[in-house]
Amino acid sequence: MAWRSGERIGAVPSLGFLCLITCAQVGEAIWLTIPSSGTKCISEEIQNNIIVLADYYIVEDENAHLHHFCPGRNLRFLPVTSPYGNNLHHNENVMHGQFALTTTEAGNYVACFWTNGQGQEGVGLTVGVDWKIGVAAKDWDSIAKKEKIEGVELELRKLESAVEAVRNNLIYLKDREANMREVSETTNARVVWFSIMSLGVCIVVSIFQLWYLRIYFQKKKLI
Amino acid sequence: MEARHRSKNLLVSFFLLWSFLVTPISSLSVTVNDVECVYEYVLYEGDTVSGNYVVVDHDIFWASDHPGIDFTVTSPAGNSVHSQKGTSGDKFEFKAPRAGMYKFCFHNPYSTPETVSFYIHIGHIPNDHDLAKDEHLDPINVKIAELREALESVTAEQKYLKARDTRHRHTNESTRKRVIYYTLAEYLLLACASSLQVFYIRRLFSKSIAYNRV
Repeated sequence: MAWRSGERIGAVPSLGFLCLITCAQVGEAIWLTIPSSGTKCISEEIQNNIIVLADYYIVEDENAHLHHFCPGRNLRFLPVTSPYGNNLHHNENVMHGQFALTTTEAGNYVACFWTNGQGQEGVGLTVGVDWKIGVAAKDWDSIAKKEKIEGVELELRKLESAVEAVRNNLIYLKDREANMREVSETTNARVVWFSIMSLGVCIVVSIFQLWYLRIYFQKKKLI
Repeated sequence: MEARHRSKNLLVSFFLLWSFLVTPISSLSVTVNDVECVYEYVLYEGDTVSGNYVVVDHDIFWASDHPGIDFTVTSPAGNSVHSQKGTSGDKFEFKAPRAGMYKFCFHNPYSTPETVSFYIHIGHIPNDHDLAKDEHLDPINVKIAELREALESVTAEQKYLKARDTRHRHTNESTRKRVIYYTLAEYLLLACASSLQVFYIRRLFSKSIAYNRV
């Protein structure tokens, strides 16, 4: 995993009211506390061709009001690095942001937040992150409008796509397990061969020793 | 409470969700240096909070296995609802005694940082308490909610399996590397030891050290 190092920060104040509105969303978001001088990263291993949606915001708590008055305080970065280190999304000095992307390669995706260390030391920042991938990221309202379904049928359609996701996950897990079993079996075979070879190396080395010492003593006319 | 959530949903139009649909979050990973806490809001009292976490082993070549991570769940009232000590991964499930912000904390007793992959889901089945007085509870909605929760538990199990599989893969990779490098080091060491022996014996018989002392 590669965490990106910090960069220069501007000082543009952002709208505070958005954080009031977006705090405590409908149950899916998790909150993290970022220390006053440090980075907090969350990561996930994502397969190829999956939609990732994320919404992040500063949570209005007892520490947040301090941030409005210290201009250097409400700063956050969000570099999302792909497995090869490319920076996919980057946002500076905001209190609320979102991004959407479709993954082009399978691997570990990292999202990091950090604050500028100005202002009060020891006062952490609480960030809410709403991170959805795959099936959970589907925009059901547009699908409902397009196909003109609603109510129970929409719910059942959601359940159907969830079942489809379960099946795809199972197939994926099965492939991964097959891969791992091959690695395990080659490792097992290698342990056998390397152990026998170490015995062979031992014998070869001792024969070489004896042969060399014999030649040496014969040269010295001791034998 | 409902009106505030509804206005929030309208403004954050990017994520329009129905008010009683609690969609799952993905299984995220967090690196635990000392203590890492994740907060999650429980809307209704009596909701089932379920989830799992797995310590994904770092690819440490020399050190032995990490003893485990402590996990505690603290309710908004401040008391510990669930705790587990010294495991490398577990599933948990409990009924939330009250609504509010719950704190899920991972504590790493040792200095080596560990990555924990976790998944938390809060499941709610609509019942008579949520509705206004003159609304009726449609039994089909309850059934759909139960179906969704059952499907959720399948998905949660899959995420747990996937995290365990990742951990197993790291262990396998570590084993493979250790087999190769330790064996090569063993051969080198063997060759070094024997050549040292040969040099030492030569030295014993050398004339410059002591005149044919041996």
